[in-house]
Order: sequence, then C-alpha cells, then structure tokens
Amino acid sequence: MYEKIIKIYPELTAEDFGRFGTILLQNDSDGKGDYIAKWEHPTLAKPTQEQLAGVQ
Amino acid sequence: MTSLINASNSAGVIITSDTSGNLAIQSGGNTVATITATGANAGIQVASWAAPAFSYYQNGSTTSLPNVSFTKITFDASDFDTTGGMFTSSRFTPTIAGYYQISGAILTSATSGQYFSDIYKNGTAFKRGSMVVGGTSGCQSNVSALVYCNGSSDYIELYAYQNSGSTQTTATGTSFTYLQGVFVRSA
Repeated sequence: MYEKIIKIYPELTAEDFGRFGTILLQNDSDGKGDYIAKWEHPTLAKPTQEQLAGVQ
Repeated sequence: MTSLINASNSAGVIITSDTSGNLAIQSGGNTVATITATGANAGIQVASWAAPAFSYYQNGSTTSLPNVSFTKITFDASDFDTTGGMFTSSRFTPTIAGYYQISGAILTSATSGQYFSDIYKNGTAFKRGSMVVGGTSGCQSNVSALVYCNGSSDYIELYAYQNSGSTQTTATGTSFTYLQGVFVRSA
C-alpha cells in the first residue's frame, strides 16, 4: 500500500506515515492486507480505489 | 467475633449475629469476604476473586509487519487464560465491565528502522508504547496501559509499526512477542 501511494504522490515521505504523520496505514492481519485507516494530509487528496488499482 | 451470613449447602441462609461490628459472608461455611468498619483492615477483604487474566504469546507463528503500516499482532499460544473465552482471534473482549491492566511487547530481529507497539481499543490506537530502533540484537517495544472496557462491545488488541523500508517479522517466544491483561476493578 505504501509503495502504491508513494508512486501516486512521490512528494510524500515515510514521515507522513509515521507516529506523527497525517496518513495511517493499517493491517488487521485478517488476510485483507493494508488499507488507509486515516488520511488527514492537508493538501493531497486520499487516493481512490481506481488510482490504487492502477498502480503496478 | 464476627457476624455471619452463610449460604449453607443444607440449611439455606444462616445468619449469626454478634456485636463486633464485623461481618463475614460465607458460602457453604467458607468465608469468601469480610467487612470491617474500623481498624487496620477496615474495608472489604475478598478471600478469593476469580478475576479474568490472560497471557498470550507467539509460539510458532509470526506476524509480518509491512513497512509504515500499523499491523495487528496475532497469537497462537497462551501461558494461561482464565477469561473463559473472552480472548479469541487475538482480541480480548471482556464481558465484565471495568478497568483492565494491559501490557504487551513485540520483538523483531531487524537491524534497522524504528518500531513501536500500540494498545488498540475498538480498532484505534489507545496508548502507544516505547519507540525502539533496530540493531545488531534486534529490538523490543513494550507498552502498558490501564483500559476501561464496558463489558460488551469494547475490545483490546496489540498493534505494531515499523519503518525500516521493507517488511519485517516478529519473533516467537513467550518472552518476546506477547499480550497480557488482568481485571483490576469494576466500573
């Protein structure tokens, strides 16, 4: 998930996903993989499912 | 001397009174609690308390920790579990309302990146644990918190985060990656 988001928004860094970051990725270990649990970035919009699916 | 209220196995409730000001509650003649108004032992002393307690750890299965993702830690073995089924699918859902002392840890053999563990309540971070850095001996993050649970829908889980740049894996062992909890007091 992180790699896909970085490809969509190369200006983001790991800090944006860190303990004080505005983006929170979560994995509930239920076999469904990572998902965006929180997106509070001040300027970038949360990627759509279509955008994420389009990233190789 | 002590006044007694005894739930007898043969004669029903037996009440025996005196003028001590103390009261003992018995079941089948065995004292389960005493109530004292004055003195060093003033208050209620409970002889035994079947409080829920659990200790789970990773024995044979690990948890993969994707880069910069908060990942739920799963457990496949227990040191003990007196909760009567409150801990399932690596989630503690107490059926007794009250305050629970929860502690947990995650250990990895990673040599780089930052790591921390979180106690999650109802799917979101409640209290954050120590942030540690991967090194030649790996690293272990610990977290502890007092958590109120409503006895019905509230649940507790352990999550972990790392930012090494690649997927890491927790280490198995009862002292390495674990989650423990115990009922402290009622609501």
